[in-house]
Amino acid sequence: MLLNTFAGLTPGVFYGIIGILLTLMAQLTRTVNFSQMGVGMFGGYVGMTMIQKLKIDMWLAALVGLVIAAVLSGIIGWIIATWLPNAQIATRSAVTVAALLLIVATSSVLFGANHSNFKPLLQNNVAEFNVGDVKLFVSQNFVVLLVLALVILIGSSLLLKRTMFGVRLRAISDRQAAAELIGVNVKVLNVGVWVVSGALISITISFMPASISNDYISFSLLVIAGSAAALVGAFKNPWLALLGGVLIGVLQGFVSALPALAAYKEWVTFILILVFLLWNQRKEVWDVAR
Amino acid sequence: MSLVLNDVTVSRGVGPVISNVTLEVKPGQITTLVGPNGAGKTSLIESIAGVIIPSSGSVVMNDVDITKFSKRKRSRAGLAIVEQGRMIFPSLTVRENLQLTARTKSDFDEAMALFPELEKRMNNNTVLLSGGEQQMVVLARAFASKPKYLLLDEMSLGLAPVVFMRLLPVIEGIAKSGVGVLLVEQFAHLALGIAEDAMVVTSGRVSYHGSPKKLTSDAELMRKSYMGE
Amino acid sequence: MSLANSTKKKAAAQSSQPGARSFVKPSFIHSPWAPAILGVAFVIVAILVGLLLGTVTDFGYTRMAQILIMMVLLLGLGVVTGTAGMIALCQLSFAAAGALVVEYMALYHIGDYFGQWSFFFYMICGTLVAMVMGLIVGLPALRLRGVNLAVVTLSLAFVFDITIVGIGFPAQKTGKFIDRPFGIAGSNDASALGATALVILVIAAAIAVGVVYLQRSRWGSSWKMVAFSERGTASAGMNVQVAKLSAFIVSAAAGGLAGGLFEMIFRQGVTTIYGPYASLVIYVLSAVVGSYLVDMAFFGGILSVIIPFILTRLSWPLYIGDMLFGVLGIQALTTGSNLGEDIRRGIRKRGRAAKLEAIADVPREAIKIATVPIPKGTGKPLLVVKDLGVQFGAVSANANVNVTVSEGTILGLIGPNGAGKSTFIDAVTGFLPHHTGSVEIDGLAIDKKSPSFIARNGVRRTYQQDRVPSTLTVGAYVRFVTGGKATRAEIDEVLDFFECPTYYSPLSLVDVGTKRLIEVAAGVAAKPKVLLLDEPAAGLDHEQHIAFGERLRQVPTKYGVTLLIIEHDLDLVRSVCSEITVLNFGEVLASGSQEAVLSNPEVLKAYMGETEML
Repeated sequence: MLLNTFAGLTPGVFYGIIGILLTLMAQLTRTVNFSQMGVGMFGGYVGMTMIQKLKIDMWLAALVGLVIAAVLSGIIGWIIATWLPNAQIATRSAVTVAALLLIVATSSVLFGANHSNFKPLLQNNVAEFNVGDVKLFVSQNFVVLLVLALVILIGSSLLLKRTMFGVRLRAISDRQAAAELIGVNVKVLNVGVWVVSGALISITISFMPASISNDYISFSLLVIAGSAAALVGAFKNPWLALLGGVLIGVLQGFVSALPALAAYKEWVTFILILVFLLWNQRKEVWDVAR
Repeated sequence: MSLVLNDVTVSRGVGPVISNVTLEVKPGQITTLVGPNGAGKTSLIESIAGVIIPSSGSVVMNDVDITKFSKRKRSRAGLAIVEQGRMIFPSLTVRENLQLTARTKSDFDEAMALFPELEKRMNNNTVLLSGGEQQMVVLARAFASKPKYLLLDEMSLGLAPVVFMRLLPVIEGIAKSGVGVLLVEQFAHLALGIAEDAMVVTSGRVSYHGSPKKLTSDAELMRKSYMGE
Repeated sequence: MSLANSTKKKAAAQSSQPGARSFVKPSFIHSPWAPAILGVAFVIVAILVGLLLGTVTDFGYTRMAQILIMMVLLLGLGVVTGTAGMIALCQLSFAAAGALVVEYMALYHIGDYFGQWSFFFYMICGTLVAMVMGLIVGLPALRLRGVNLAVVTLSLAFVFDITIVGIGFPAQKTGKFIDRPFGIAGSNDASALGATALVILVIAAAIAVGVVYLQRSRWGSSWKMVAFSERGTASAGMNVQVAKLSAFIVSAAAGGLAGGLFEMIFRQGVTTIYGPYASLVIYVLSAVVGSYLVDMAFFGGILSVIIPFILTRLSWPLYIGDMLFGVLGIQALTTGSNLGEDIRRGIRKRGRAAKLEAIADVPREAIKIATVPIPKGTGKPLLVVKDLGVQFGAVSANANVNVTVSEGTILGLIGPNGAGKSTFIDAVTGFLPHHTGSVEIDGLAIDKKSPSFIARNGVRRTYQQDRVPSTLTVGAYVRFVTGGKATRAEIDEVLDFFECPTYYSPLSLVDVGTKRLIEVAAGVAAKPKVLLLDEPAAGLDHEQHIAFGERLRQVPTKYGVTLLIIEHDLDLVRSVCSEITVLNFGEVLASGSQEAVLSNPEVLKAYMGETEML
């Protein structure tokens, strides 16, 4: 049981990063990006195909995947920023649902129904230790993901607070119309956020824990665990999103150790989403301010 | 060299909200536009700002036709607009609000110098400021972009007159530095007091254009403009 | 050519005139029997087509059944995504639940009390389970906006699928098949499949007709209202949460029924068709075709079956069809349009020139408005607001506001921009529950009550913003606002009185100024004790202003509705109000008879920003 719970930490941090990126996207571009994992996955499979067909190096393939994901994400962002500049968050997010379908269907056509799984870039353990008679491992993936999460959190907060780029992004997030009036290039900045987010999700996937399933749809739907994590911070606080991700991972690990419940470990995410939505809506909110 | 609205008509939904308005804002001068609620003052400002595109007529700035310019292009051409309401960026500090528009350190310092009382609030989030201070930030932010023309839409909204009076000499100072100011106000007397040129807009048309002094002294004209027949 | 052009121009000029009445005459489509008759006609045509196709090609009965089942799924989804404007991504999970229940009950003969009809009892049970699921998923997303519903439904689709794959369908697992209803043979030969398809056809048609009736009912109106404006919905006396939840439950029910129909044709559950991917596809398809429209739901059903059919014939990958849906979906969702609306707009454009010409030919009825004096009322205090205060952070938007509206009068609430007039209305109508002070209507305390409660108990309002959804007809909107209490004759009378477009005119053809008039007419038709009007005359020209004033003066005696009006045009205020209250900086500056207030020099000063300090 301890083993399983501890093993949940790595996917937990992974969910946490997805949650952090979803939160930042929701704050900075007013979109809940359902296509996020799909974008990263698509880049990943392009890279994998190149490994198989062109025999290129694994790290180079990861770089190719990163570029593809960033560009794809940028295109989706550009479409939304061009045609729905002032639309509500639900309308903007709905477009990403259609984009997700397009990505999954395209992947199935291009890469075939029978595809091999992603191989993580790193597979070794950095440390192992004993608690009682249980042997616990700390994998390289875990360390890299945790560092990545912290880098994104601290980096984004520094970027937003310390650079003019960040100040402009926050201005857009506060009042898009007013930002446009004082000459901020809203569209370019918005698309920039999409590109960066696509690149970051691609990096994250490269260090994904091997245990996570990856047929096209369940892989793309890891965005659900990410949004559950983001909900813990109400799509506002990226630090709480990381915490939420870890919480989900650990809980899933714990549940999978119980023989009676192991088959239902995915329900953890669903129940967390239910609980946090109920909690978040305790106050009455109207669709428009007046 | 001036900012000119040529025979502008703006339609919204039903019919024209502004009909054939022509006006000119000269550099270094304050033009005050007054009129009751719903007369079309805001639509007028928005047609200059590029928020709405006039259905006919043109907007010309220093001999360049900017009628079809995007909002960003207008701003880069030297137009600064302070919209109605407190158009601060609430999660940004006073400093960051000004940094958004100031291109150089000296632009920033000059803008800060307009309101020395903001100095100690420099690193506070603007959402925590009082209404008057927020309008100071907005005005300073507009000035920091070194505009050629400055449009101010109802800065006094929801402010006590004393607070608004603090802003007036600053607006005068900005005009003296060579900026053409269009001051759109419902609070007529204070705004007319600092103007070189005055206009009254009622029901989308210019019903008076001339000296501000003559307007303020004509009580009957003022009453009619505001309270109807 | 030039002649046609000039009439078109004339027509266009007419239509842009506010108040130009649109006379959409009632036709067969509007009759209450129309959906049922069309439904029966559809069944007959479908049987004929089915006989033809089923025998001639390999496009067999199974595929026809699939088209119909997809139609049911799409129709249900259309209620949530199209009509009520929410994102729901678990339509096939509801179907899976319905199918699972049917299969389980049929296999183990649980509840087979009705002989050959038992299958329908199973289907009802399955539908109920799906509805409960809909309730559980819908509840947490009610107050928050659409994205949260997307998150929770997508999550349900995912976990439910894993669970179903895990536990499996009982018949599939044991290698058995369940019985079809009416003793139809279990085999897959043409006669058995044909009979099954026929049963499915009748049920699907009945569901479609049912959904159309629901869409036309007060419920349907409430879904369209809530998609356009939650505040507007609450002000019409409808609880926003109830409206959203009912849409979601209807959608889940359609899903559950579709699951039962799948069982009827396949006799065994297939886990692969119920996954989250299928739910994604059907959501996007629904957005592409606009599946809240019955014909488009049917068309969507055809697409979803024919495209894979063609791709199989060509030996192309099936996913190409979904790629196509993905692209079309992005297009539809970014432009906010769909196939159904595009087609309808195209048809309407053709018919429109002629229709508007007809309007132009109808002489505008010179409705003689009796000139009545400003109503004096009974003197009984009706709406009593005491010490009302509203605080927004450090700003006090209303402070110590005391307003009494006496029965049968029209009170004018005026003041400069930002004086707190709309805040006052918001507070009185329940949108600012944190206000201080008390509000009573006819002796009943209504402060701290919900907006819909207040609306139902005699205090209604209109808005400065457009809160009249273009998706409804004029009549459906007015009927919804009145809570179904006004008779058809009463509604027509009020519409006539305010010179609004006729009952069946679609609101999408009505300009903003006239929409406001319709909003006022609807408020009056709802017969509240007090109606609060927030700048009702904005968007009307001078002549219409005068006519509008004449009408307003009659409202208290003619309809028994007392009025409070916020208006910046003081000419209008002067022509209708006996009493006036002036707000300035959130406080009452002056209050009293029209003459006294308007001649008060302080009021003019407030309007111009002059104060004692100068």
